Amino acid sequence: MNSTLTYAFLIVLLASLTTVLLRAFPFIAFGRNKETPPLIRYLGSVISPAAIAMLCVYCFCSHWQSRGVPAGGAEFIAGTVVVGLQLWKRNPLLSILAGTVVYMILVQQF
Amino acid sequence: MKKKNWQSAFKNTLPVMMGYLAMGAAAGIVLAGTLPRLPATPLWGTVSSALSISGALQFIMVGWIKEGIALTDVVLLTIFLNLRYAMYGFSLIERFEGIPRWKKWYLIWTLTDETYALQCADKRADKNDSVDYCLKVAFLDHCYWISGVTLGALAGSALPFDCKGIDFAMTALFLVILTDQLREKVNRLPALTGFGAALLARIFFSVDRMLIPAMAVMTLVFLLARKKFEEESVKK
Repeated sequence: MNSTLTYAFLIVLLASLTTVLLRAFPFIAFGRNKETPPLIRYLGSVISPAAIAMLCVYCFCSHWQSRGVPAGGAEFIAGTVVVGLQLWKRNPLLSILAGTVVYMILVQQF
Repeated sequence: MKKKNWQSAFKNTLPVMMGYLAMGAAAGIVLAGTLPRLPATPLWGTVSSALSISGALQFIMVGWIKEGIALTDVVLLTIFLNLRYAMYGFSLIERFEGIPRWKKWYLIWTLTDETYALQCADKRADKNDSVDYCLKVAFLDHCYWISGVTLGALAGSALPFDCKGIDFAMTALFLVILTDQLREKVNRLPALTGFGAALLARIFFSVDRMLIPAMAVMTLVFLLARKKFEEESVKK
């Protein structure tokens, strides 16, 4: 248990430190020169949607893996609820809450 | 002046408070549900949320701890997940120049999407006044986030019902962000690239090893086809 705690703490520390350094990057690297380098601006704009799309795929795959199914319907149904509600109501909390409740019911009852 | 800034910071961060309390609570419940054997889970929620202050990271770290991820992968994945933060500071450099170092680092450390949006929207003419307001916004948002995660972890540890499936909250969060991004046409081709790269990586790697290869593939595509992507974004 002790080693788990140390390991978990190291993960949090490393992830936090990396995040802070990312946030500090413009201040450290371009304190005087106020133009964003074009390559950085370009990568920043394309990587953001790509990383989120990748994480969606990753999440679906890990749900399927932890449930031991090749591709489950519960994820698609709950995912459709989330996307549908978000397109319709544009309320992130509502979409997330409704989708999660639907998913919990599906995996616990069926 | 100082009191007035507290008032306007509180008023302007009210929507953030609702969002952070709810989202933080969800992250805390996931934490308590996924890692019940971690000692002092609520305290753990407090510490991790105070240090990292990043929504997606808060959720995904739980999975990393559970699955046992390599520490080098933590750094790489965090960079990809939070790369956007490296762009935000550019528009704040001028305003935060010359202020005491601890204030500057606190502002950098707490620079979330929502805090950044509020700070950017601030139109105070006096620089000191503006920095004072920004600090208060950052502090309040930081408090909301810590409270949300801690309360969620407390509730999650005590919840009487079956939490199975609660981790879908993270998937839902990513789906919501993606849905909103896809409303803008410029994001569609990059998102499709990320989707394809992830599928490709999943074919050749196991689930817990797929993210790094997927990121490598998409970065390569973005660098090689930069002209094409930039033309597309101008066209649209």
